[in-house]
Amino acid sequence: MPKVLRVLLWIAVSLLGAFALATIALHRGEQINALWLVVAAVSTYAVGYRFYSSFISAKVLALDPLRATPAERLDNGRDFVPTNKWVVFGHHFAAIAGPGPLVGPVLAAQFGYLPGTLWIIAGAVLGGCVQDFVILLFSVRRDGKSLTEMAKSEIGRVGGVVAYVAVLSIIVILLGATALIVVNALKSSPWGTFTIAMTMPIAVLMGVYLRRIRPGKVLETSVLGFVLVLAAIVVGQWVSETPSWAAIFTLTAPTLAILIIIYGFAASALPVWLLLAPRDYLSTFVKLGTISLLAVGIVALRPSLHMPPLTRFADGSGPVFAGTIFPFAFITIACGAVSGFHSLISSGTTPKLIRREPEARFVGYGGMIAESMVAIMAMIAASVLQPGVYFAVNSPAGIVGQAPEAAAATISSWGFQVTAAQMATLAHAVGEQTLFNRTGGAPAFAVGMAQIFSNTLGGQAVMALWYHFAIMFEALFILTILDAGTRVGRFMLQDALGHIWKPLGRTSWYPSILFTSAVVVAAWGNFLWQGIKDPLGGINSLWPLFGICNQLLATVALCVATVIIVKMGRVRYVAVTLIPLCWLVAVTFTASWHKILNPNPRVGFLAHARQLAAAGANPRLIFNDRLDAAVTAVLVVMVAMILIESSLECMRVVSGSKSAETKEAPFVMTKLAAQEQS
Amino acid sequence: MSPIGLCGADTLVRDMPQAKTLRAMANAILASLVRSFKVFVAVLHEIFDESAYQRFLDRAHLQSSPNAYAIFLRETEQAKSRRPRCC
Repeated sequence: MPKVLRVLLWIAVSLLGAFALATIALHRGEQINALWLVVAAVSTYAVGYRFYSSFISAKVLALDPLRATPAERLDNGRDFVPTNKWVVFGHHFAAIAGPGPLVGPVLAAQFGYLPGTLWIIAGAVLGGCVQDFVILLFSVRRDGKSLTEMAKSEIGRVGGVVAYVAVLSIIVILLGATALIVVNALKSSPWGTFTIAMTMPIAVLMGVYLRRIRPGKVLETSVLGFVLVLAAIVVGQWVSETPSWAAIFTLTAPTLAILIIIYGFAASALPVWLLLAPRDYLSTFVKLGTISLLAVGIVALRPSLHMPPLTRFADGSGPVFAGTIFPFAFITIACGAVSGFHSLISSGTTPKLIRREPEARFVGYGGMIAESMVAIMAMIAASVLQPGVYFAVNSPAGIVGQAPEAAAATISSWGFQVTAAQMATLAHAVGEQTLFNRTGGAPAFAVGMAQIFSNTLGGQAVMALWYHFAIMFEALFILTILDAGTRVGRFMLQDALGHIWKPLGRTSWYPSILFTSAVVVAAWGNFLWQGIKDPLGGINSLWPLFGICNQLLATVALCVATVIIVKMGRVRYVAVTLIPLCWLVAVTFTASWHKILNPNPRVGFLAHARQLAAAGANPRLIFNDRLDAAVTAVLVVMVAMILIESSLECMRVVSGSKSAETKEAPFVMTKLAAQEQS
Repeated sequence: MSPIGLCGADTLVRDMPQAKTLRAMANAILASLVRSFKVFVAVLHEIFDESAYQRFLDRAHLQSSPNAYAIFLRETEQAKSRRPRCC
């Protein structure tokens, strides 16, 4: 394409993006079409990818197409394999896309669609994509080293320890928070519970089929599993309508929590091939298919957003979770904009597959753009709901009242009209007994998704099927994370305990497996139990805690990246990682301060503990609040330590008192360039 | 003379390269679709570990069988278990 045309094209894309952003930011009083959000996001991502990531590639990182990557140098056909960039992109995206970008934006929609949407777009282009890209490239240049190893070698011992503790904490809190989402989605829902219960024998069947009947035919097995899951959804309707069966699968929150805790322990101790691997394949299959389907549904239906751009809850009095728009909107969205967890994937499997250095831009920066687009779709799914319905689903009974009439009256008094009859009709349409107090984000997302899907395909008659499909999709996702997360946590614990007593470090020694699995399950199970007993709904405490952990991990990753950029002698470009780092420090430290010390009992853990103590509440609830405050404080102090250590290291290098040496693997000329030319 | 009267050979001569261009374009589109589909399938094979299994079979000079798959699973179990799933 001639240069003039290219320039004109990019000017047009930029203007379109600016116009779409202005439309969503300035429109007041009328509903806007969801496509404005899509256009604003896609245009900004396109400009960000084309220009900003290109600038980072050329000036900051100096990507070298002639430098051999570890996938080429250490190619062993197992961990290190030079792989086509599209294949690596798919692999990377499948690994980073989890329930976070779906749940976070749904919860943050309580502020209105505007703050969340702007943060998802800006945060991704300037923060999340940059973090994923630079960490991926730095790991590629260090033979695929993990974030904790890079933190240790580039910043110091403190960096390594903090990264390790942050990773373990985030895993434990993530598992507790996401398990709570499943409990809230399945409580008193025989249809949903039956469907999810059936995914377990289906996964075991898949495991046996894969191992004994059709070895290695994973795609075929996943399709088979998917068909069985669809059949389970259809049968689930019959179960929910048959009183004797419905009674068996109508479970309370504590019963579901106990079952999930037992499941987590069993999944961690069982052989990988029997449950973890097939469930992972099934979940990935459903995930990729559903996300594509949702994108098609939004574009085909072009729904209007009923949620206002800004709600009155920007002042911090929101029923979904308490806290002002700054910092809590940024903490809540987490994975859709910046996710510290991604740095683990970017320094895990992905760097061992990258064939040529320049491809890191497409995989790292581009992969996060795709993830951010998923968050935009979740924001749309939440915002197509009538605000009254959204708040009725997401508000805990402790805030709006237990009885449907009382809840509807409270929500209507906020200016978001909803009636008990309207909610009963909606619950009936989606095959549930009630949709009140379904906190956690998953049910609201499922209702929004069911509306989009049923309007695109099948009409109102199949809305219940779509709703339960969406619930199955989210729960399957989350249970996969429980399986895998418990195992990863168990391995990390075994690694650490192995330094104290060697046998505990042996990953195949059964007493060690049982002991460490029990410790990890007890840790996240405690947070889950705390969530279901919390009169404020649990998500109010746990999701911000998870968000803080996730963003603190991103702070650690950006510290590592900033130190490496300084050591590379590119101080003048350090703002690329330093600005998102400063922003995250401001957000996470402010949020932590609020969560620990805010005098409002709905926000501050200690204030809530004091309130409970004054009311003579169960000491266990008081302990939980104090534990949350302590966990937050410990993490903040540790991240402050890594910040100080990083700043000192940078100052030593800039002042010349320490030589600017990075721990990159030595340069080796690639043979792939010559092969490609020939 | 009407323009239709001139059609005949004149139009044929002008249309032939056009038809060729159209055919070439159609071929190019088809080729790129096939290429995209192949990449899509390759992505699925990689995500679902079918490529990893194939690489294992090639490396170990084995035929696919329940035994070979069991060895492959044992070999990859540690890596698979330690791979975090994102939030």
